[in-house]
Amino acid sequence: MLHSQKSISILTRWLIPCACVLGLALGSGVAIASNAAKTGAGANLLETGSSLLYPLFNLWVPAYTQSHPNVRITTQSTGSGTGISQAVEGIAQIGASDAYMSDALLKQHRDMLNIPLAISMQMVNYNLPGLNRDHLKLSGPVLAEIYQGKVKNWNDKSIADLNPGVKLPNHSIIPVHRTDGSGDTFIFTQYLSFSAPEWGNSIRYGTTVSWPAVSGELGAVGNPGMITASKDNPYSIAYIGTSYENAIEKDGLGIAMLRNHDGDFVLPETKTADAAAAVMVAKTPKDERVSLIFAPGADSYPIINYEYAIVNRKQPSPATAAALRDFFTWAISPSGGNAERFMKEVNFVALPATVAKLSADQIAEIQ
Amino acid sequence: MSSASLVSSDRLRWRRISRAASFRSLTALSACLVGLVLVLIILFLALYAWPAVQLNGAGFLTQNNWNLGNLYGNPVTVHGQTILPGAQYGILFLIAGTLLSTAIALLIAVPFGVASAMFLSEGVPPPMRPWISFFVELLAAIPSVVYGLWGYVVVIPFLGHYVFPFVVRWLGFIPFLGGPSGSGYGLFTAGFVLSLMIVPLITATLRDALVEQPRELREGAMALGATRFEALWTVLLPAVRRVLTGATILATGRALGETMAVLMVSGNALNYLPGNIYTPISTMASFIVSQLDSALQDPTGMAVRSLAEVALVLCLISIVVNALARVLLYYQGHQVQRAF
Repeated sequence: MLHSQKSISILTRWLIPCACVLGLALGSGVAIASNAAKTGAGANLLETGSSLLYPLFNLWVPAYTQSHPNVRITTQSTGSGTGISQAVEGIAQIGASDAYMSDALLKQHRDMLNIPLAISMQMVNYNLPGLNRDHLKLSGPVLAEIYQGKVKNWNDKSIADLNPGVKLPNHSIIPVHRTDGSGDTFIFTQYLSFSAPEWGNSIRYGTTVSWPAVSGELGAVGNPGMITASKDNPYSIAYIGTSYENAIEKDGLGIAMLRNHDGDFVLPETKTADAAAAVMVAKTPKDERVSLIFAPGADSYPIINYEYAIVNRKQPSPATAAALRDFFTWAISPSGGNAERFMKEVNFVALPATVAKLSADQIAEIQ
Repeated sequence: MSSASLVSSDRLRWRRISRAASFRSLTALSACLVGLVLVLIILFLALYAWPAVQLNGAGFLTQNNWNLGNLYGNPVTVHGQTILPGAQYGILFLIAGTLLSTAIALLIAVPFGVASAMFLSEGVPPPMRPWISFFVELLAAIPSVVYGLWGYVVVIPFLGHYVFPFVVRWLGFIPFLGGPSGSGYGLFTAGFVLSLMIVPLITATLRDALVEQPRELREGAMALGATRFEALWTVLLPAVRRVLTGATILATGRALGETMAVLMVSGNALNYLPGNIYTPISTMASFIVSQLDSALQDPTGMAVRSLAEVALVLCLISIVVNALARVLLYYQGHQVQRAF
């Protein structure tokens, strides 16, 4: 009698919870399996990385999967640093990045390809009450001094000299920078490095740099984080990808004119990006890892870059490789992903034909 | 009694003994495995971080210069280690951020935790007590990322736009409360969100201990003319002092290692020490998460090894806190015994 009571209590105490846990595990397993069955024989591709490229991928994926229902592409905005590292580790099939891989990193991972999919720009934005519609003029050296804490106030002489006649506020500058590994940081610090030797010799460029400590500075994650930080903090300055220009205009932030290689001040527009691209694309090597920053020419916008897909040329299955080749071929085609209607929406520039050819050669290597 | 039944009862007894022995060895094995895992993790961390320890030396703990170096340069050899040109690793700002945010959390959480435990054990009408303590325990079960999200959406704008400017204006003369009030992200916000996460830990533990104190203690105090509050304050609370210390240490451990919530509200400062309570900070745990992807792009691997060294330091700090707590409990135990 006592024995049977005990066995009942053991039953209730251990077996029932165990059964519950087991049931839960089985249930979720079945759910995952049925989910996998739904996608059928097609491929499941994961894209992760650049928040600058993310808005474009979100336009591309529905358009592409409509005509390719057996391919499922998941997109994530995690930052170019994550894009590169997860593509290298094989977690993501497509690593989106505004930065190409470094020589040393590529030497370690020889099978990785850096394939340009489009050309983008970066804006320098500011939040100055009353001046946000005036397109302040800024230069690389002045920005370098702001981000080093040497130019502290908006009415500093170096800013005033670039903007004669503009009534600048006597307020401290709040520089905002990215804290995640970021392609935007990469291209912004390249502009500073190429235009301001002092920055180029000390801090240099990268997806992460050692930002000098500046009183009041803010760190933000992703382009959306940069927008929130500059919107919430009057007197801030930030660098934000041009695919967020609509959001910038909605929030009423200012877009700066930047001084280019020839000393002219230009706004990020299709015209100025085209001018810069026309000068730089001829320098693109076969593996397409090249900086387009600080292009010569009176009309050239100084911060343009290739938007890269970081992909392993050796895919685990022929089906995945075929799906990737097909998607990328569509993406760089002027009648597919590089069509005007996509580019205009995110303020990108389509790949010139010579670069599209180089990208196509790299796409063919995915096996 | 027949001999047959004797044999069978012997066999039964032997079976019970052997079952007890195998149960004992099974539990012993589990206990050893738990200890082994702890040792192996520390050993792995130490071995993995060793090249970074050699490279960074003592400067790792005393300098504010976390710098991955020139990510696009060619690796160079320094002190026998291959690193990126210009790479340096010093995490004083992380140690400061971790300890200061935990200290602020404790400063807020301990008084609130004690007060709410006192009210829940004495002030609430008995029929409602189980419900209210159930509620407090639920608070402790909320995942930390939820606190982080709430801190991000609600606390930061509120503190940054209303509270901090107000405090700077009226209490700015107090050290560390003056100066620029910042944006809401920072040391105090991190400490505040942490304190909300650890108050339930302290309250729930302390309330249980207060309720379980023998009736005689309360009755004795009241017989001597103490009011209900005096009985609680002078007799019951000192009796649960050890429990309070223990709960505070558990809470400290949680605050030191908390990652997500802090990551979302701390402002993720790099390479500088906070000048006041509004300054952005980073903590060791959140830094490991936020910098791992960047570190993975260092082809020499030194950045990830240095992150492992951060983890090692965090482990050591937690172990030291726990050890200090044990010592404290030991001495308190002696005092309590003497008092009786």
